[in-house]
Amino acid sequence: MKTIAYFDATHDLPEEIIMAAGFLPYKILGDVHTSNEPADRYLQAFFCPAARSFLTEAMARSGDWEGIILAQGCNATNRHFDIWKRHVTTPFLHWFNGPSRDDALAHRFMKTEIWRLINALERKFCAGITDEKIASAIRESNVLKRRLQSLSALRGTKDIPNREYFEALVRSMQLPKADAIEEVNAAIARAEQRGPFPSNKRKALLTGSDVTYGEFMDLIDEAGFRIVRDDISEGERYYATLIPEEGEPVDALARYYLTIPKPATKVGIRKRIDYLEQALVQSGLDTVISQNIKFCEAFAYDSVLVNNELKAKGHRVLHVEREFTPGPDNQLMNRLEAFSEML
Amino acid sequence: MNSNKTAPAAPETEQIRIKTVPHAKAIKWPMIWYLLMGQIYTLLPWKKTAWTCAGFPVELLWGFDIFPLHPENMATVAAAQKQSQRLIEHAESMGYSRDLCTYCKTNIGAVDTNIKTTLGGIAKPDIITCTNTICDTHWKWFQIQAEKLKVPFFMFDCPKIVSGTDERTIEGYINYMVDQFYDFFEFVKKHTGKELNVTSMMKASDDSELMSVIWREIFEYRKCAPSPYSSAETSASFFPLVVMPGKKIGIKFFEKIRDDIKKRAETGEGTLSSGTERFRLLFEGIPFWYRMRFMYDLARYRAVVTYEPYTFSFAPPKPFGKNYSESLRDVARVMMDLPYSYNLEKRIVYFEQAIRDYRIDGVILHENLSCRPSSTGMIDLKNAIQEDLGVPVLIIQCDMNDPRAYSEAQMKTRIEGFIELMERNRT
Ligand code: SF4
Ligand code: SF4
Repeated sequence: MKTIAYFDATHDLPEEIIMAAGFLPYKILGDVHTSNEPADRYLQAFFCPAARSFLTEAMARSGDWEGIILAQGCNATNRHFDIWKRHVTTPFLHWFNGPSRDDALAHRFMKTEIWRLINALERKFCAGITDEKIASAIRESNVLKRRLQSLSALRGTKDIPNREYFEALVRSMQLPKADAIEEVNAAIARAEQRGPFPSNKRKALLTGSDVTYGEFMDLIDEAGFRIVRDDISEGERYYATLIPEEGEPVDALARYYLTIPKPATKVGIRKRIDYLEQALVQSGLDTVISQNIKFCEAFAYDSVLVNNELKAKGHRVLHVEREFTPGPDNQLMNRLEAFSEML
Repeated sequence: MNSNKTAPAAPETEQIRIKTVPHAKAIKWPMIWYLLMGQIYTLLPWKKTAWTCAGFPVELLWGFDIFPLHPENMATVAAAQKQSQRLIEHAESMGYSRDLCTYCKTNIGAVDTNIKTTLGGIAKPDIITCTNTICDTHWKWFQIQAEKLKVPFFMFDCPKIVSGTDERTIEGYINYMVDQFYDFFEFVKKHTGKELNVTSMMKASDDSELMSVIWREIFEYRKCAPSPYSSAETSASFFPLVVMPGKKIGIKFFEKIRDDIKKRAETGEGTLSSGTERFRLLFEGIPFWYRMRFMYDLARYRAVVTYEPYTFSFAPPKPFGKNYSESLRDVARVMMDLPYSYNLEKRIVYFEQAIRDYRIDGVILHENLSCRPSSTGMIDLKNAIQEDLGVPVLIIQCDMNDPRAYSEAQMKTRIEGFIELMERNRT
């Protein structure tokens, strides 16, 4: 299936429009096993390593894709766009400027940006994007989101390794939705056959920068924690909310993307804290692992206030800054283990 | 008005100095006015203040008779007063990462330790307003502080004009911005009880343009060789443009400076002593506020910074003599398209034009550890300038407010190497 790849800092790009245009939306997540050296020729080493990895992937793989879209999120998206434009070869490079606010004005602007994306795809690919095709893409997305919700619910009762859940999410963002639905169904079936939640593991909520590689989820597991709630994009942010299926589809998409669990890249830290508190209370949790990848400013800025508020509510919070590496991170492991012992 | 282009590079020990303009010290009057007014507006209960950031159109606040307090500016004061390091370290001890902007951390430390205004402290405002046009830091920082101080917060969400954005798209972006202006007016009214006085806002905008015009005129004179004015001085004197655009006391100060420079230009007098200017530099980025001697020390190598986009970017053409709705659209455009946050394609064209206009021999790019947004694209910028114009470019990694990032010996070695490179490039 022909692919349009995208770089969004969290969950910002209405991939349903790409689906309605007849393409596979593929979220660029980079590869932690590949050196960032190609991107580092243009992006300095003190920039977000995940974003450098995304550029490295795009430089290597853009020939496989019909086009690339970058969506407004953090400064890595808007400031790096020009660098992608210079150094990534692609027949179609589009800037999607989703709003950072979430009020009525932002909703109107989001709709304008969605229409601009539709027009750009139609101009370039004669895509014939109709309301019906968008509505159908929305329905398919929602089926996947519902299945992911079911898988997620099993995290607290069954023995599901952190990586297994995480990889189901990644595939949901990179495979055709029908294939992803099948895979998630299979994952649910497997999970239901599994034993109960392991007694030697502690339940925790994961928050902070998006996680783009499974090794980090393994590390948390090895330190004795199972993530049963989270607010990351390769997690609950992707499926916690469903896209409204009634009414005008562009309007519905605009509403959806402004009401998903708030990332640090959007205005509204209070809403982010509220989501976390609600998740902790709903699931009877009191343990939070907060992390940001080195040089991820948006989440690093939030972490102090967010974590202090959670602590003030009686939750136990560990904050760590992590390197972008698949290898063993002893320092990180020590901190996680010390946290576990402390609990 | 010829630069001495043939004399050999002077040894570093010669101690050539920057000659400040006669009215340089008059900057203290606008500064005193600003600090005093800030205190009066803070103390009187019926007066209101707002924290605001670079890139925010202060004229909007003047239209409400709200006094703008500038945390970034006060952070530079803390650095100049040798306070920034302890404030930054204080913020880090609160949990803020070593990798975050040191303006923000200076402010967080200043608020938490409640230091005096003269050392870089800042009063609690009535509202906090900012934009996301220049960086994520501005709004992340202001949002955190608004929560901490329990002060209402407003952010202008400025769409990004990336390379290749067409005019039709920009017009759509402007519509979104204009919607936000009206929202902002409601926000201010709700939280301060103040109504917008359109006439005073338009007057503030016109006066602001008058101030900017003088600053741009000053820059015209800087094209002369030898350069009559350098970055060593502009880094201090541009202050009124940021914090009090359009205020009479600032305009008067600029007029005096402009007249000093004009006189110098007419007599062929440079900021370096006669016949010693050899290298004309462009410096990109925020200066090292805790080590302002850096700019002065360049004189030892007969080098003078004749153009810096940083201070110039505070004087973009502003709406003048337009009607209300046209003005709002113009302000919106300026907010989204500041020279400091130009996209890469525009930035390259802009720099190359400045290099030609100011007859630049070498470019220093400050790769600022605090400021990823302004450091993005620097490698491409460097390559483009070198390839297109053959002008040497030096990237130096440092930080504008954190003395821990500055290594005296390393800086000296790099600058000396660069001077040699420019010398070789000439021959
Ligand atoms: S990890 Fe942080 S800095 Fe990097 S792309 Fe995501 S939000 Fe941006
Ligand atoms: S130094 Fe850079 S990151 Fe910090 S406030 Fe200024 S523009 Fe933003």
